[in-house]
Amino acid sequence: MNILEVHNLKKYFATQKAVDDISMNIEQGSIFGLLGPNGAGKTTLIRMITGIFYPDSGNILLKGKKFDAENDAKYIGYMPEERGLYKKMKIGEQALYLARLKGLSKNDAMLKIKYWFKRLEMESWWNKKVEDLSKGMGQKLQFVITVLHEPDLIILDEPFSGLDPINANLIKDEIYRLAQNGTTIIFSTHRMEQVEEICNKIVLVNKGQKILDGTVEDVKQNFKENLFSIQLEAIPDNINSHAFEIINTKKEELVVKINEGFKPNDVLGYFINRSTGIVSFEEILPSLNDIFIKLVEGTPTARQFEKATS
Amino acid sequence: MNKILLIIQREFLTRVRKRTFIIGTILFPLLYLGLIFGTGYIADKTREDLNIALIDGSGLFNEDLIKSVNGNDTLNTIHLVAAGTEKFNENFDSLGYDGYLLIPENFKWQSGVDSLSVNTKKSFGMGALKPIEKKLNLLWSKIKHDSLGIDAAKEAVLNKTISLKLNNEKNKNADAGIATVVGYVSGFLMYFILLLYGSQVMMGVTEEKTSRIAEVVVSSVKPFQLMIGKIIGIGMVALTQFLIWIACIFIIYNIGKTTGHQGGGASGMVGQIQSVFTSLNIPVVVGCFIFYLLAGFFFYSSLYAAIGSAINEDMREAQSLSFPITMLIIFSIALMTPAIANPGSSLAVWASIIPFSSPIVMMARIPFGVPNTVPWWQLGLSMALLIAGFMFTTWFAARIYRTGILMYGKKPSWKEMIKWAFRK
Repeated sequence: MNILEVHNLKKYFATQKAVDDISMNIEQGSIFGLLGPNGAGKTTLIRMITGIFYPDSGNILLKGKKFDAENDAKYIGYMPEERGLYKKMKIGEQALYLARLKGLSKNDAMLKIKYWFKRLEMESWWNKKVEDLSKGMGQKLQFVITVLHEPDLIILDEPFSGLDPINANLIKDEIYRLAQNGTTIIFSTHRMEQVEEICNKIVLVNKGQKILDGTVEDVKQNFKENLFSIQLEAIPDNINSHAFEIINTKKEELVVKINEGFKPNDVLGYFINRSTGIVSFEEILPSLNDIFIKLVEGTPTARQFEKATS
Repeated sequence: MNKILLIIQREFLTRVRKRTFIIGTILFPLLYLGLIFGTGYIADKTREDLNIALIDGSGLFNEDLIKSVNGNDTLNTIHLVAAGTEKFNENFDSLGYDGYLLIPENFKWQSGVDSLSVNTKKSFGMGALKPIEKKLNLLWSKIKHDSLGIDAAKEAVLNKTISLKLNNEKNKNADAGIATVVGYVSGFLMYFILLLYGSQVMMGVTEEKTSRIAEVVVSSVKPFQLMIGKIIGIGMVALTQFLIWIACIFIIYNIGKTTGHQGGGASGMVGQIQSVFTSLNIPVVVGCFIFYLLAGFFFYSSLYAAIGSAINEDMREAQSLSFPITMLIIFSIALMTPAIANPGSSLAVWASIIPFSSPIVMMARIPFGVPNTVPWWQLGLSMALLIAGFMFTTWFAARIYRTGILMYGKKPSWKEMIKWAFRK
């Protein structure tokens, strides 16, 4: 079942087409990566999904029904990239206030805050103020506030920035656990190694348009360049074959590109025929980082201001 | 609706629980009184007292005559000096005189002269010569009386005057003096509350924007709810403060009344409060004050909220953008003075009906009496227009706010903000 469906969403600002006809579906319980360079339109897209902006055109369906910002707020938890909390307000009161704004009753909110504060060892923070917290502690608090009301859809914008590895792992484990319990998570980032590790499905956005959509595996398969890594006992001289070309040579390892019409077996056959001992043979799939750079490269790093005509 | 209540509650409680609120509530009336009495005291202290030498060329002035007029006002004095003019005009200041006055030889008791000069070596304020002028004319009139043979008894008859008092047939207790004082106090109080709490709204909005909490909150509530909740919450704080002051006045009054008139400042204060109570229709004045306080506050603070949403951290941006709004409030207070001097004039009537100035000017007029000075239709029209006014400014501000609160970067101009407001 799709928890979120976005159809032909558009949002134009005076100087640019921030989101230009994007459609996507997000399955319930998946961890979904929303990728794109700076200024690609990710934040605008998220702001429409969270009801902060109204789209110029297009539809958003949440749980199969038309999204209604006011009443559906309780189903969504959103952690913006720029973290925001009241600096002078006590942490416990602040968590309670923000949870109640999401529609929880006072007692419910209290129980859930206590549960989460205990879980993430934040109980001693209750009467402290946000300005007393370190940046990492603030992140943790922001995460708790985002997930506190048990939303069905959690949107995290760069959730690990500013976290040390221990706290980052803590949050990562919480994300996995939430996903296992059926919560859907949208992950907006440009840190590809995290995406590769965590996400099932990704969408890549550039210049307001969707340029890639699929599971991490499929995307990698689609962008593979028939590269293989072969480790040999010793690299023989004069390697010359129609089946492949050598891209790179390390001490005992070759990186080869198999030519069109040939198969890995042809490569292995070549070395077997020459009686070279093969230690390992492995396909090299491109990293998401490579794919990202390849797709986005060539477009200016910052979007230029242009007149949007709608 | 429930969410707006939550926001109001937070805005109200976080402010009322702050130490600055308690201190402000106690200190503001003290500062306010200090300002009134302090300026009076300073004005009194810095008054220029003149010691003027009089060189008599006419032979009409004598020592006894001058002594008799100096007795009335010992701060500004005239002394008869017989020194030769040539030398005296160079060193009169070292002799302790601020200036000298030369009565020419052709000065006759019947005709005098049209004007005389006081020769000094420094400049004085405009009013500084008035007491000396008064004394000189008193001297001359004594000389005239002597020459005409008018004795003290006849003089007393001549000096008798009639004083006029206002007697309002409809309202026997009306007292223009008290109305003026209460008018000024209400007008200024309104002015301070609008400015102080208006800028609190502005800073509160900017704080939410710059600390980026706004984005977290508007994913749960509509921007309009966040804005209106803040405005109402802070408005309630202002109202609470006002009600505490009113309650204090009543408590002082009642304590003073029960402890009896034992003399001293307290009973004097009680007497003053009592005369205010009897000459004014207190429920109407307080009721109208609360209405104009809230409606005026909504009118201005929504504009301040719009500005707060447009600026980023830099307080100079806030000043330059809020300048037109602040000017409107200052202009209202400038209109208040002529309106109090003549509360029935067309200037006063219109200034108290047009929404931007009505909170201050109407509150300055109301102590003069409803419905005598301020007819019911004027009060009703003023209130209706102010309600319409704040509904418009709130609508207008909300449309700027929803764009501004998530817009970072360059400070927008008023023109751009108006464009935001009228975009679909």
